[in-house]
Amino acid sequence: MGDQHRMSRIDTALAQLFDSFLPVDPSTINDKQTLRWLDGLIQDATETVHAGQDDAPPDVNTAQDLIKRKLLRENASPEKAARFSNLYSRLLSMPVLNQKWRILYLLHSLSEEEKPHNGLRSPLALVDQQRLVKEKVQQQYDGHTDSEQSDQRSPRGSMEPKALPQSPRRLPPKPLSKDLEPIRAERDRPAEGTRQASEPAANALNQPTELDLLRDLPFNMQGLSSGSYQFVSARAVKLPTNLPIPILSLLNTLAEPCLLYKTLSNFVNSQDGGLVNQSLRAAIGGELRSYLGLVATLEGEIRRALTAIEKGEDNKNGVRAAGVTLKRCVIWTRDATMGLRLMALIVEDSQQKRGGQIITLIHSLLSSHGDPFVAGFAERLLVHVARPFYDMLRHWIYDGELVDPYHEFFVAENDPNSKADIDPRRVATSIWEDKYKLQADLVPSIISPDFAKKIFLIGKSLNFIRHNCGDSDWVIQYSQTNSKSLDYANTSHANLSASIDTAYQSTMSRLTYLMSHKFLLQTHLQALKKYLLLSQGDFIDLLVESLAPNLDRPAHSQYRHNLTSQLEHAVRHSNAQYDDPEVLRRLDARMIELNRNDTGWDCFTLEYKISPPCDVVITQWANTQYLKIFNVMLRVKRVEYSLNSTWRKCMTGARGVLASSAVDEKLRSDWKNARCLIAEMVHFVNQLQYYILFEVIESSWETLQRTIHKPDATLDDLIEAHTKYVNTIVQKGLLASSAEREDGFLVQLHNMLKCMLNYREVVESLYSFSVAEYTKRQQFTARIEKRTAAGKWGITEKDFNSRASTPAIAQREDRYSAMSDDNANNDSPMLLPSNTGDDTTLLIGMRKRMAELSNDYHVRINAFLYDLAHQPDVDLRFLGVVMNFNESYKPTNPRRQRRREKAKEADRKSHDMTGVSTAHASAKGDSSKVE
Amino acid sequence: MPSKESKREKAKEVVDILEEISILLDTDLDRAQLSLCVSLIENGVNPEALANAIKGLRREVKSNEKALQDIRPESSMSD
Repeated sequence: MGDQHRMSRIDTALAQLFDSFLPVDPSTINDKQTLRWLDGLIQDATETVHAGQDDAPPDVNTAQDLIKRKLLRENASPEKAARFSNLYSRLLSMPVLNQKWRILYLLHSLSEEEKPHNGLRSPLALVDQQRLVKEKVQQQYDGHTDSEQSDQRSPRGSMEPKALPQSPRRLPPKPLSKDLEPIRAERDRPAEGTRQASEPAANALNQPTELDLLRDLPFNMQGLSSGSYQFVSARAVKLPTNLPIPILSLLNTLAEPCLLYKTLSNFVNSQDGGLVNQSLRAAIGGELRSYLGLVATLEGEIRRALTAIEKGEDNKNGVRAAGVTLKRCVIWTRDATMGLRLMALIVEDSQQKRGGQIITLIHSLLSSHGDPFVAGFAERLLVHVARPFYDMLRHWIYDGELVDPYHEFFVAENDPNSKADIDPRRVATSIWEDKYKLQADLVPSIISPDFAKKIFLIGKSLNFIRHNCGDSDWVIQYSQTNSKSLDYANTSHANLSASIDTAYQSTMSRLTYLMSHKFLLQTHLQALKKYLLLSQGDFIDLLVESLAPNLDRPAHSQYRHNLTSQLEHAVRHSNAQYDDPEVLRRLDARMIELNRNDTGWDCFTLEYKISPPCDVVITQWANTQYLKIFNVMLRVKRVEYSLNSTWRKCMTGARGVLASSAVDEKLRSDWKNARCLIAEMVHFVNQLQYYILFEVIESSWETLQRTIHKPDATLDDLIEAHTKYVNTIVQKGLLASSAEREDGFLVQLHNMLKCMLNYREVVESLYSFSVAEYTKRQQFTARIEKRTAAGKWGITEKDFNSRASTPAIAQREDRYSAMSDDNANNDSPMLLPSNTGDDTTLLIGMRKRMAELSNDYHVRINAFLYDLAHQPDVDLRFLGVVMNFNESYKPTNPRRQRRREKAKEADRKSHDMTGVSTAHASAKGDSSKVE
Repeated sequence: MPSKESKREKAKEVVDILEEISILLDTDLDRAQLSLCVSLIENGVNPEALANAIKGLRREVKSNEKALQDIRPESSMSD
């Protein structure tokens, strides 16, 4: 029942519809025949519909695609297609219709009907076209003009080739009247240019006709020569000269893709080049294949047109009628030509480039070219070209392996053989720094420089973990869990950066974890600070104390086993014994090679052995710096130790030997001076040690610790922080400027320390002298008492004569001379006691020497303080202030003073020619200035 | 009834859209024809058959245009 109803509704609608197609209202027609005919038509159409009702419905779902394709094909701009998409999506959102696709299909089918009119048929349209071809051949119908139609399409009308009636394949829905054709041809002439006009003439001169040219075109487009197209070289084509100019210009235009194809196919077939080059070649090969596909359809089209023309009698309009002309070919190949041109450009530019540079080249087309066609094309290419790059990238950031047989990646492995022979102790380098290097010029522009650095670090760390830390298990596991394929197509920038960031974080944290836990970097740093930078006070005190008697001897009499046993002793008896055995195992004492005149003090050094991979942070260079610092510190320590022992002697002596009235009356002022100066020296040394240990080392250590314990610290950060740490200590610990000037801090300091040691020697001898004096007085008193007890005179004249030659005094003389030999290289000449061995001479000599050394010391410390006060570094200036807190010293500029002295000296020489010793005079001048 | 009202509105909108598409595609259908086609297809008519019928009809009319033209002056039409 419902079906019945539906059918009747359909019938009514059909009748209405078909009526509306008729040009006249049937009701107004009187002519029975016409009326019958019209009825028949409607009847036929209705039957067609009913008959089709049972057919399987066509694949209606593709209607949308078909329409879109058709619109794209027939219109130069995508505007219409875009409009269609817009409409389509709006339609989809409508809830009303159930059969949207069917309607679209109907519309599409109806529009296909009109197609042959549009004429701008592209080869690709064929597929759709053929489906619509009906078997029924329409007979010609003469007489009527289609003025209505042609007016409607007048702007394009003249350009449209009219389908020939005899063509079996195309049904002209609006058959043209033959009698109109000549007129049309007349009209076409100005529009089509001279081509048509000249065609008959060309034929007459036995020139290739457009048909011939068309026939050859598919071959030409594959880079093959033909009669009229001869490729003379890679960049030139020879055209017949007797063609009319318009055709020549068309041929010239067509020559471009031909030539480009030729060069490109040459490039594709070539062999050399790296991976990126090869992938570029493959990508271009793919593009060329699609170009060949275009050529193939073009060829089919041309063939068909040609056969159509052969069948038809009217050869004159043949070319146009068949719808394939040279001009049209130019238009069809325009996009392809553009693509070819781009590729040729890329190929040419990529000749001198490799790896990342090629990617950068293509990416720059993508990112900075305004034409969407170019950008799209470049993107398509880039997907292929970047594939090997992403492959390498994947290997690098997930496996830490550099798979780059053609050196195209932006990370390159340094050739171990070509390494410049620099002393590794001088330069802060290591395997971490040296093994790989980043080549900035090969970083493709799809990756920012920051990113490249990160990637570089990731791979380097992985590689390091695997090869130097022996933890390849972790790397393998990591690469298994995290590895994912990278690709330009599916890796948007954000995506890539996210995955790289995670890789970076996990790698870095793993590496720092390994460094601090497995390789105990922290412990080693601590140990270095404790032992080489003398932070472990009890240990170093003990060591110096136990080593002192040994080290006072010349360097060549030192034995390593002695040193190590003393070291062992120091370790065992200090808190160092509770340290990690791993640390103690690395601690070693040895002699460094020095001159034969050196004492043990100059040669002795402690050593802390660093094993890989910690030597990446604590490099050889850093180790040398540590040793340098240790050396200076040890010297200071030694001076401190000896000054302390002398001071102790003085203090104990002051209660015993020195307190006796005899010594006191004779040497009181000497001892007073000596104590003052020694106190000054002790102050100096203490301040210096305090400064180096606390102001310099501890504060730098603090900074280092802060950097190391930062949560996102990388190995690079560690290395940098440690280098900075060492550098700061060297710089602030008075050691840096030593190389620059001959009177740098280090030299000044050494001279002062030497001066202290010398002074100490004199004080020691003064002490011995005092003891000797004391004993002598004691013996003398004892003798007096003995004589008195024996009933003689207590003192005889003989006593006064023989006093000088007492055994005790002779012994002292020997020692004194030995000591002065020891100090033979001292700057100030020492007045040796005369051989007469007179006590007083000896005393005078000692006094003189003490005065000299004291002067010397004061001059030096004033110069030193002056230099400190004029340092750019705040800490060094602070040291100067600490040492001279009560301004007891007057800092002087030694250089200016020396200049002034020279001037004075010259002055004096000119005045007074008696020849006073210049050294003496200058010494006097010094002292007067100081006091 | 608002629902009926809106339904009609919607239907009108749909036909608007379809008309635009039809203009894009050069189908030479006017609005009345289009809505007839829509209703036919909604009722289950095979679109291909319908298209063929319409095309056949058009063809016939075109080919016999002259004859019709002859009739025309007899009727009220004149151009």
